[in-house]
Amino acid sequence: MTDESSDRTFADRALKRLPAEVPPPGFEAALLAAYDAWHARRPQGRWAALGAGLRQFSESIWPGAPAWAPASAFAFALLLGAGLGVTLPSVLADEQPTFSLEQPAAFSLSAADAAQEDM
Amino acid sequence: MHDPDAEDVAKAGRGDRDAAARLIARHSAKLLTVAGRMLSSRAEAEDAVQEVFLRLWTHAGRWRPGSAKFETWLYRVMLNQCYDRLRRRPTQPLEEAAEVADEAALPGVGLDDGQMGREIARALETLPERQKAAILLCHFKECGNIEAAEIMGLSVEALESLLARGRRALRAQLQHLKGFAGDGP
Repeated sequence: MTDESSDRTFADRALKRLPAEVPPPGFEAALLAAYDAWHARRPQGRWAALGAGLRQFSESIWPGAPAWAPASAFAFALLLGAGLGVTLPSVLADEQPTFSLEQPAAFSLSAADAAQEDM
Repeated sequence: MHDPDAEDVAKAGRGDRDAAARLIARHSAKLLTVAGRMLSSRAEAEDAVQEVFLRLWTHAGRWRPGSAKFETWLYRVMLNQCYDRLRRRPTQPLEEAAEVADEAALPGVGLDDGQMGREIARALETLPERQKAAILLCHFKECGNIEAAEIMGLSVEALESLLARGRRALRAQLQHLKGFAGDGP
């Protein structure tokens, strides 16, 4: 028997020794009562549909998570993108070599020009 | 793929109380078992399962049977509930943690069934949450590796690796229980 399969056998036997979990009396009834309460206060109308749509969208991103979790992730991504969009162009612009038509060039293409400058 | 729950989910979303009762009867006990072992707290597990069913009712009307089974979604929601609750817990002080995991002090022999069960539950409790979830899904929900991987949002290889590490850790923690039936074939 390989190590892995003997670990598996060991774990299976160990877990079988755990005492069985029995739902407390009235647990199913409590769940059903919660269903009744939900059904009674279920909102109707256009805003309810909008809220339901948003919840469905958030559920598709992160099932079971509270609404703030995907909303925070989205807000963080938005802030990061906006921050980069604002700061990056000016940072890149600072790194470009600058020149002006009103100032003489600071370099020469020929040795003659260099000699003239020496005189 | 036939989903045995799809019809009841749609009906419950439209206000059919009997369909809701059938879903509760089919899933609540196993959800409670897995949540109870994940959280090591009966009361918290009951709250988590209540929350899972509330989410189910909220989304039932818009459930569309697609490639994923309803049960896969249900257990994924339950696991996320458990992870959130575990992360909200205050960190245990080191001295307390050491007391709980003091294996050398355990007798190892002559344990009755109750003590043995508590030892095993304690060992399970110390596993990292994802290893524990993988083991619980495969053992208590009797999931195949593919379904468990889908519930946990992992590849099958990643799930198998979690299972292997979790089982090895569990065995290492329980090795001191001499005469324990897991030693032989």
